[in-house]
Amino acid sequence: MSVEEEIKDIVSKIAHIDKSIITREGTFKEMKADSLDIVQALVAVEEKYDIEIPDEEAQKFTNFGDFVSFVEKEVAKKG
Amino acid sequence: MKPLQGKLALITGSGRGIGKATALKLASEGCDIVVNFFRRREAAEKTVEEIRALGVRAELVRANVGDPAKIAEMFDFVADKFGYLDIFISNAASGVGRPIFDIDEKAWNWTMDINAKALLLCAQRAVGLMAGRNGRIVSISSLGSKFVWPTYAAVGVSKAALEALTRYLAIEMAPHGICVNAVSASAVDTEALKFYIREGLVKDLKQTTPVGRMVTPEDVAGVVAFLCSDEAYMIRGQTIIVDGGTSVAPFAPMIQKGDG
Repeated sequence: MSVEEEIKDIVSKIAHIDKSIITREGTFKEMKADSLDIVQALVAVEEKYDIEIPDEEAQKFTNFGDFVSFVEKEVAKKG
Repeated sequence: MKPLQGKLALITGSGRGIGKATALKLASEGCDIVVNFFRRREAAEKTVEEIRALGVRAELVRANVGDPAKIAEMFDFVADKFGYLDIFISNAASGVGRPIFDIDEKAWNWTMDINAKALLLCAQRAVGLMAGRNGRIVSISSLGSKFVWPTYAAVGVSKAALEALTRYLAIEMAPHGICVNAVSASAVDTEALKFYIREGLVKDLKQTTPVGRMVTPEDVAGVVAFLCSDEAYMIRGQTIIVDGGTSVAPFAPMIQKGDG
């Protein structure tokens, strides 16, 4: 499974939303994910890939795609 | 010699706000500091730099204190780096601001885990590192433990638990030579409060404090430092309120305006 698909799985489980409505262009607001869902998703993704996503970075995400791209870059750095 | 020279403090959530002010205050008294943070690395790294500039040792440890495994890792870090601990400040806080009927189990557990359970688990680990060192534990509470604020139910209840736990810890830890207290503040001028103001949940509070200004992180830090001093040795299990008089004169703003 790709990183994108794995993150979709995590977000859908935490925010109780259907995976099919999560798109790269979609925002958390559009997905009706609240701030706790977002923090818990960030933490779950950090633990899954053993990376760090500081709030300073997370605040720059304008949509789900930005989130996925950041994680993909961090995962690639780890080799 | 400074009063806390040679001592070590671990302060949760000390990258900013009250935790940072407390870290700088204790450092100014000669204390080495372990700064804990969770989400804001840049702020925490800056705090470490500011502490080191005061001529003491500072280390950084990332941990979500809502996660027991991360608490264990944080104390393992202190044990490995130093092997002892003199002061533990339970400051990290989080919470979900929602009306009662919108608080689901996830939101409730998140808030209670970080604000209340963390103190229990941290105190249990601190005891071993404080053996024979006249340790101090101070937890940071808020007036929301006693008073009702909009959307503050989950956090307010977690802070009430924190204060009750502080009393039990004070008694059960006294035989271990550890002195435990809490400091409770009203709305403090921090980034966390700015969130509540932005969301329209509280108004600008300058006018509602009898003293005429808001409580600052430094006001709270000063009282925390006092509770870590020898002079506070016989204060046990207390929650010291730092609120500029708000809680004893809740109607003061109305009276001052002449409509009370």
